[in-house]
Amino acid sequence: METNSLIWLLLIPLFLSLISFAARKLGRSTQLVVEVSHLISITVVLILSIIIVKDVLAYGSVFARNDWLRVDSLSAIFLFIIGLIGFLAGIYSIGYIRHDMESGEFDNNKLSTYYGLFSLFLFTMLLVVTSNNIIMMWVAVEATTLGSAFLVGIYGRHSSLEAAWKYVIICIVGVSFGLYGTILIYSDAVNVIRLPHAAVLWSEIVKNAMKLDPALLKMAFIFILVGFGTKAGLFPMHTWLPDAHSEAPSPISAILSAVLLNCALYIVLRFAIITNLGIGPEFTQTLFLIFGMISVAAAAFFMFVQRDIKRLLAYSSVENIGLIVLAFGLGGTAGIFAGLLQALNHSLVKALMFCTTGNILIKYRSRSLDQIKGMLQVIPLTSILLICGALALVGTPPFNIFISKFYIITTGIGGGYIWLMILCLFLLTVVFTTFFRVIGSAVFGEKPDGMVKGEFNWLTLIPVAILVVMIIVLGLYLPPQLETLLNGATEVTMTGHPAQELSSVNIWQDFSGLFQTKAFMAPFANWLQ
Amino acid sequence: MVSASFVNGLAGVLILTSLLVIVVKSPRWSVILYSLQSLVLVAIFLALAYFMNAEQLYLWAASAFITKVVLVPLILYRAMSRVGDIEISKNAVSPTIAIALAVVAVTISFIVIDQLTFRAAMPFKPALAVSMAHFFFGVLCILTQRSLYKQILGFCLMENGSHLTLALLAYNAPELVEIGIATDAVFGVVILVILANQIYRDLHTLDTAELSTLKG
Repeated sequence: METNSLIWLLLIPLFLSLISFAARKLGRSTQLVVEVSHLISITVVLILSIIIVKDVLAYGSVFARNDWLRVDSLSAIFLFIIGLIGFLAGIYSIGYIRHDMESGEFDNNKLSTYYGLFSLFLFTMLLVVTSNNIIMMWVAVEATTLGSAFLVGIYGRHSSLEAAWKYVIICIVGVSFGLYGTILIYSDAVNVIRLPHAAVLWSEIVKNAMKLDPALLKMAFIFILVGFGTKAGLFPMHTWLPDAHSEAPSPISAILSAVLLNCALYIVLRFAIITNLGIGPEFTQTLFLIFGMISVAAAAFFMFVQRDIKRLLAYSSVENIGLIVLAFGLGGTAGIFAGLLQALNHSLVKALMFCTTGNILIKYRSRSLDQIKGMLQVIPLTSILLICGALALVGTPPFNIFISKFYIITTGIGGGYIWLMILCLFLLTVVFTTFFRVIGSAVFGEKPDGMVKGEFNWLTLIPVAILVVMIIVLGLYLPPQLETLLNGATEVTMTGHPAQELSSVNIWQDFSGLFQTKAFMAPFANWLQ
Repeated sequence: MVSASFVNGLAGVLILTSLLVIVVKSPRWSVILYSLQSLVLVAIFLALAYFMNAEQLYLWAASAFITKVVLVPLILYRAMSRVGDIEISKNAVSPTIAIALAVVAVTISFIVIDQLTFRAAMPFKPALAVSMAHFFFGVLCILTQRSLYKQILGFCLMENGSHLTLALLAYNAPELVEIGIATDAVFGVVILVILANQIYRDLHTLDTAELSTLKG
């Protein structure tokens, strides 16, 4: 179905970004104008995202501008993440940045730059997931780096400028690899399809994937995985991530970690679909398993020795992205479904954790875990939210990540990857121990002398509380609309095109059936023998 | 055949100019050499346009001339005139090792491109290998050079490599694709230059070795 909502979804945040940039000249009214335009921007993005997702649920996919923009079930999941996290982190931003204004970290100039870049950043990420033109996808990913670089370095400190430089130079190199891979795919597609304007569209390339040159597909996918994998934070190309995520203002860390990494992963997945249809899934699955596993392993090690709370969370993002990629590597509908569910769940929890860390920073003025003690006495509400987030992050029931991690492990065992899953469980135990130790000492230790009890403001608590409710609900119940969307996205990933009737696909039921099948028990039986 | 030899020959000149961009110590001279190198790229676009009767490539040549030969070098040159032509005395590797690594990049690129069998790649395989090597030269420049400006030039070299690959394999791409890539490169350079100058203004250095407080 053709829809103008896609165009408005892109134009409104872009326009409001320009308003915020221009508002710096308004003197005393600057704060009011930029906060109102920011609020309109994030609200409109959330509402339009929900409308588009509803349309996708009804029609399978929607498109606009001669198919240059297209949203199917796969992109709808990522669009929903952008809309939701963008809104909640955006609300949190208002409270957090007000504190920066009060403390003198921000002036009117920085304020308008911050909100201008926030909306611009949202626009670029929306362009990534709505684009059907593979070159425009690349342009959009590149634009996310350029748009967010100044947000990372906005405090202008030595460490934040250093982080911004590393972020922009490493990601620009990485994404250039992505461009090279994209060009290789396009140039072969144009020889097959013969229509240059059609060959640039993902939906057309995927129809002709089987006719593409196998050697070129392999080469292009390696470029794409290395390139966009850099942006997604996969080990060993992750080096920019802990610096950028820890130095950025906390709401931006939340978006970088919960949304941007997924956007890069989304592009990898789009090209993996083409490659799988062209040469079979073994090649991409092997690469996914390798990169996923080493990312989880390296992140678990780095987390264990970490004493900076935001860097700890940044490495946790590397671990979770590794897990998602590992799930894709396990293959089949179950692996894809589990990976996509983990992507959604991780986004919610990581946004929650980074926002909570923002509250800690406001109070303790430090990220060092040696100085953050006695939170329960100082900021009790934030402490409870942090405990919920940490428990969710390590995969404890009844929180959402427990479900997706459980699916990943059971899918791996069901697929015969027993030793890999045992190693994975060991690494997840290391992560669990790390969080237990760190959060325990931060929450229950003795508070520093002279620390006054009290939260900063309700705007820094409400969005986090909403996220906690969501992660508990998703841990106990998967709403039918979300289930249908995940099933449809799995279908797109497996076949390259959306199912006509989204409700006809049901992988969720396959999961519940999995535990009763002999296929699930067989590897255990072999292993026990 | 003459056309392929001519284009492949020009691609060889491109390698030489890229190497000079990397090994020359003065960032200002590197910018001038980059502009010269982009001129060779424009010549390749013109040659391909003439020999293959591809009118779109004349447009590519014009946009590459404006963005790569004039605009990007001008942006870099003006930015440098604000901070001065600061040479970093020591780089991550010596020029000899940098050249040796460049030779390895060229060899690997020729081996990889040789594996390709699809029709569009056939006549210009050496030039295609050069374009890929050129891309890796950019990576090499970023990895081996400590000057922020030289790293920006590394990005420009990578971008030129990708652009040449696109021209060799899919010169009939929609104009918007070519414009998108060219514009994005200019934006990339502008953002990097602003950030480099901010780093120089606040931290008084253009040396990446002094940007190493964040570890672990």
